[in-house]
Amino acid sequence: MTFADYYIWLKAAHVAAALLFVGGVVATSLTLALLPTMPEDSAPFVMGMRRYDRWVTVPAIIMVWLFGTGLAVSGAWFGQGWLSAKLGFVVLLSGLHGVQSGRLRRMEAGASPAMSRSLPFVLFAAIAIAVLAVAKP
Amino acid sequence: MKNEIEINISLLGQLKLASIIEAATLALLVCVAVPLKHLWDWPIGVRAMGPVHGLAFIFYGWALLQTVGAGIWQRRHIVLLAASAFVPFAGLLASRYIRRRIDALDRDCSAT
Repeated sequence: MTFADYYIWLKAAHVAAALLFVGGVVATSLTLALLPTMPEDSAPFVMGMRRYDRWVTVPAIIMVWLFGTGLAVSGAWFGQGWLSAKLGFVVLLSGLHGVQSGRLRRMEAGASPAMSRSLPFVLFAAIAIAVLAVAKP
Repeated sequence: MKNEIEINISLLGQLKLASIIEAATLALLVCVAVPLKHLWDWPIGVRAMGPVHGLAFIFYGWALLQTVGAGIWQRRHIVLLAASAFVPFAGLLASRYIRRRIDALDRDCSAT
């Protein structure tokens, strides 16, 4: 297998993981934004979201970072402007996911939902990451 | 109440593990890889340990923010725990502090 073949598969795995990760963060943002408006008995829904976060979004974020670091090292891209900007957005999205994941756990334990308005930022970050990764300006 | 304590203990256990990994990779980077690069002109150590420590740092930050989202810490604790990621060996002190917090929650859990 040549380096080009290896690169394509690494990139495919990274993009697949990124799609699942962003999908999970969007779903959690929507959940946290809409929960205060939902009926009292939303515990099964929160538990389902929490399970999805644990088994899909968390493994996806781990894969995003592992494959992404592998790609950046193999392409010697660390230090380039587009990657630094992209890394900034990914760090912010990862941090936001950490906070959201903690909030979901707290709600699963019975805490009342707190209003969250993170969805516009998540959508903007996802678009910015896609543009920076593809165009590499 | 007991459920909340158990969830907090699980999150803190993860944070403790992350702080130990972060402290170990930072110590290896600063105390081994960087001197090897500058004193013996051997940059491969930094090239390998840099990304590894970067991943460990991200894991620690993510685990810390999970505990912040769960409402476990007061603001000054968050600042201290975040600062510990930037100082070599401070992560080991942070892990001991987190261990004490887990023990306190364990006692609360036994009492309820």
